[in-house]
Amino acid sequence: MENEKSMMSNEESLRIIRSMIESTKQDLRDNGSWFLLWGWLVFIACILHYVLMEVGYEKPYLAWMLMPVGGIISFIKGMREEKSQKVKTHLDEFMKHVLVAFLVSLFIVLGFMSKLGLSTYPLVMMVYGFWLYISGGAINFRPLQIGGIINWVLTIAAFFVGFELQLLFLGMAVLLGYIIPGYILRNRYNKAAKLSPNNAKESYV
Amino acid sequence: MFNDLNPLLHQQLRLSVMSLLMNVKEADFTYIREKTGATAGNLSVQINKLAEAEYIQVKKSFKENYPLTTCTITSNGRIAFEEYVTSLQEYLKPTE
Repeated sequence: MENEKSMMSNEESLRIIRSMIESTKQDLRDNGSWFLLWGWLVFIACILHYVLMEVGYEKPYLAWMLMPVGGIISFIKGMREEKSQKVKTHLDEFMKHVLVAFLVSLFIVLGFMSKLGLSTYPLVMMVYGFWLYISGGAINFRPLQIGGIINWVLTIAAFFVGFELQLLFLGMAVLLGYIIPGYILRNRYNKAAKLSPNNAKESYV
Repeated sequence: MFNDLNPLLHQQLRLSVMSLLMNVKEADFTYIREKTGATAGNLSVQINKLAEAEYIQVKKSFKENYPLTTCTITSNGRIAFEEYVTSLQEYLKPTE
């Protein structure tokens, strides 16, 4: 590529275009860390809330104090990833908009928890489903989309049960929608990293 | 044979840079260098040529006290690239 005047054949031109498209495609990899982080945090909080309630603890909702911890970890992790990011794809941009839409919707639901009462957790799962389905479609990763559909099914089911069961449903929703797809993503990422270590350094979520 | 092909794009490194930038929103200099395998000097020269033609936009800033060069394709660049690919396709059509 050093020689400015080097002649290129049409096949050579096509090969260059193809190889550049391929090489940027390989950067569209997610190691699943965000799904695992939030999946486990919400899962633990749900189960902890349930257990504390069962043992008769006065303030079982304190289990959700894990969320601000997750917020701080996410902030630091996000800053680090932003710093090491050498390329921004159109998908990165799209996912950012989806994430903002997801977070705004989630905060609206959580902010009106007192008005929503027993509908809060079903609506949280509905918002989860929305995010998972779109994210899965955007990165062409079926387990996330299936996770999204499971979240919607659990949303409907949760409208018909009491708070205790809703907690378990939410735990199941994050297990099937975040944690399991997160591990599949991580596994896929590690395999790809073994095949081409340079390309696997990038992550878009 | 390649008279109609845009000479600015019909060069290996410039074509690589343009193909890469067509695919991403923006990319920094190090990333482009890694992907194309070019030397910093050569890449810098070719990027300047593409920027002079207003095919790409080059933004210079600092990241943790290190200079950071970020490249984005412009709408002119996008059109030129699409025209180049169309011309290329013409050449690749089997002759009757």
